[in-house]
Amino acid sequence: MILAPENNKNLYKTLVEFGYAEYGSALEMLAAAKKAESPRLKIGYINHALDEYRHSALIFKVLDNEIKKDNGYFKKEFKFTPQNVVLKGYVDKSGFLIEKLTLKKFVEFIYSNEFLAKKSFEDLIKRIKNSESLKILNEIAQDEEEHAQGALEQHDNFSTNKLNEIMTEEDRHWGFAKIFYNKKFPNANLDLAFKREKIKNKMRLFYFKNLIFLNRIFDPIINFFILIFGNIAMLLKPTSSDDKDLMKINSRSIL
Amino acid sequence: MFLGISAYFHDSSVALIDTNGVLIDFKKEEYFSRVKGDKSFPRLAITEMIKSHKLSEKNIEKVCFYEKPLKAWLTILKYSIKNNSLSNELTRNYFKNIWKSSIIFSYDLSKYLKISNHKILYCDHHLSHTLSAAYYNSKLPAVSVVIDGFGDESTSSIHHLDSLQEIKNVWSSSFPNSLGLFYSAITDFLGFSVNEGEYKVMGLAAYGEPIFYEQLSKTIFFKEGKLILDDTYYDFMRSITRSYSDKLKSIFNIKERESNASLDLDSSDFKSYADIAASAQKIVEEILKKIFLFANEITGESRFIFSGGVAMNSVAINKLAKLDFISEIIIPPSPGDSGAAIGAAYYSFLQSNPSYLKKSAKINIYEMLTPGHVNSEDHNEEFFMINYERVAEKNELIEVASKLLSQNEIIATCYGNIETGPRALGHRSMICNAHSMVAVKQLNEQIKKRSKFRPVAPAILERNANKFFNLSEKIYDTYFTMGAVAEVMNVKSIEAVVHNDNTARVQLCKEDHILGKILKELESKNIFVLANTSFNISSDPMVYSKEDAYLAIERMNIKYLLTENGIYKKK
Repeated sequence: MILAPENNKNLYKTLVEFGYAEYGSALEMLAAAKKAESPRLKIGYINHALDEYRHSALIFKVLDNEIKKDNGYFKKEFKFTPQNVVLKGYVDKSGFLIEKLTLKKFVEFIYSNEFLAKKSFEDLIKRIKNSESLKILNEIAQDEEEHAQGALEQHDNFSTNKLNEIMTEEDRHWGFAKIFYNKKFPNANLDLAFKREKIKNKMRLFYFKNLIFLNRIFDPIINFFILIFGNIAMLLKPTSSDDKDLMKINSRSIL
Repeated sequence: MFLGISAYFHDSSVALIDTNGVLIDFKKEEYFSRVKGDKSFPRLAITEMIKSHKLSEKNIEKVCFYEKPLKAWLTILKYSIKNNSLSNELTRNYFKNIWKSSIIFSYDLSKYLKISNHKILYCDHHLSHTLSAAYYNSKLPAVSVVIDGFGDESTSSIHHLDSLQEIKNVWSSSFPNSLGLFYSAITDFLGFSVNEGEYKVMGLAAYGEPIFYEQLSKTIFFKEGKLILDDTYYDFMRSITRSYSDKLKSIFNIKERESNASLDLDSSDFKSYADIAASAQKIVEEILKKIFLFANEITGESRFIFSGGVAMNSVAINKLAKLDFISEIIIPPSPGDSGAAIGAAYYSFLQSNPSYLKKSAKINIYEMLTPGHVNSEDHNEEFFMINYERVAEKNELIEVASKLLSQNEIIATCYGNIETGPRALGHRSMICNAHSMVAVKQLNEQIKKRSKFRPVAPAILERNANKFFNLSEKIYDTYFTMGAVAEVMNVKSIEAVVHNDNTARVQLCKEDHILGKILKELESKNIFVLANTSFNISSDPMVYSKEDAYLAIERMNIKYLLTENGIYKKK
């Protein structure tokens, strides 16, 4: 999971990243639900996934609204394309977290990242000045208020903003993760796990912020390789299959 | 066992063929990753298959990849270096992403399946398509037409099949002369996602007039045995972000559609975009007719096998079926790249069994459509009972489903194994009474949130079909395996599932099929047609597991879910 840069000045791009991050979380939660044996835990993960799917759709709706209000152009890169969840790294193509982590580490990760997501979302909300966009958020919040309130009654220590559905649900997810963790691993040091995840996220942010700089270093090297191997590639002549019996061509060759 | 794999370009998939040459399993990666069109190496699908079939080095005879990786990579790269430059974005992209391309297939495979290198085979891309269709066909000789975006070295091919052991490549068209990429460029211009929204262009075409046909036919045409595309109108051969050029835009005299803009019958630009779609659709139909005629002339065959992404254009197939020189067209249930995994597995089987002759006996079509064993105990539905109640037990499924449908309720199905192809045929569907405009409208517009210009498809018992539809004998099997276009004779009674041009994408059902059983029960209530659409939200793949089904009915607010164990209703 990679959190969107907190101080990114481009609101559209930040919203896009948030939308994908939420979608990635939904997929992680669904994968966890499939692994869970207890029916109640399964439903818990599915409910979490439902929230994340809705958040993702909501954020893209806000993006659409923001662009329309600015009379901007909806670029193709803003369009939600499911495969970008993998390409952008919000889901690791080598495996879902539930496959790669122990249950203890998985819960630590969820607890820490839900909290960090909540903080990032607070920063994002501050940057949405458009009343129409805020109205969308509030309308959905009101639709879901009963559902969110019901959950908050059990976890009201974590409520900070009841007018905003996403905020309340991020709180709830974080609350659930913490309660589950404390019950399951009473002797573990949660603060340490949280600090570890925070450092990891900071490192990821540092990497992404410096990606342009890194590209400047690596681009000439890539150009050099293209020059060398491009000319070699031009010399390679794949066998044409024209007029051939395709069942007789070499089945071991990749060329 | 013979494993076929398709990956890295379109929706990745894995197919398993046993030692008798029978397809026993087929899985797409998107079923497990829940990423629509997932093109990454199908690690989850392979892992699942290894587990369920206890696969290992010992019982796997061959693993076959559906294309020649280096050939495919080199063809585009060499074209780009020659026609663009070393610094062109397409050239650079090909180099930079070499580690995400199919070249690393054997390395990726080794992470999930330990197998000797001598057991790994590579099949020509278009041959994989041909064999994926030949698997479902028992009569030879035939001619195979493969038309897609791009594969290995060709964008279109004609293969002459004398036998399964002798398949000659008699014609091909090279990159960038591609009918598939032409249609994708139009899809892009119309604001739909390339490789996903092409079927929307086809639906939109029914509402337009082909007023740009003459101009478009100068940008791509088939002449004297050659498919020619004028690359000044298209950018897909030089850009990774845009597939059409300003010159193409100047033909249409309208801005490309923003992908978030609404496009419905009452949108201001609807007619203009529909005209573009209709013109592109006519181009595809006319070029296909010429390629099929050419295939007939050079091979003398009248039995056609048709595959590749363009073979999913059911409107064009219906037009082809009207041509006199064609006696039959066989289309596999999954004509695109994911289905090519079946062709790859079949190729490795045929390589190991050089004297194999396909038995002509008819195979149960539904077993072919949903390969893979589903044990209901593996799909624990206990968690449903927390928030849902079972309103029908296993033995009263059909009776209760029919009753609900006659009351104009909508039912989602997650029944048995998923179908192989892109069309949901009842196992992962949302169904309702097609005679009820209210029910269909609710299903299509409120639950599925599809545009009004894309009505859902009708499903009907085979024996009742002629009362409503004018079916073509030449594509008869396709009505069962993928659904095909037919003219509607009785429009008024099923108006909600009929397109603007009085056609429908008809699915025929046998009486032993789940939808067939329900339809049979519904006859006494004067309901003969069901409306059927895939059970998914548009940005998601089709529902696969019971957890996916639970999540989907919650997200779409569907009241009833039918599984092989009963019907559930929210408490």
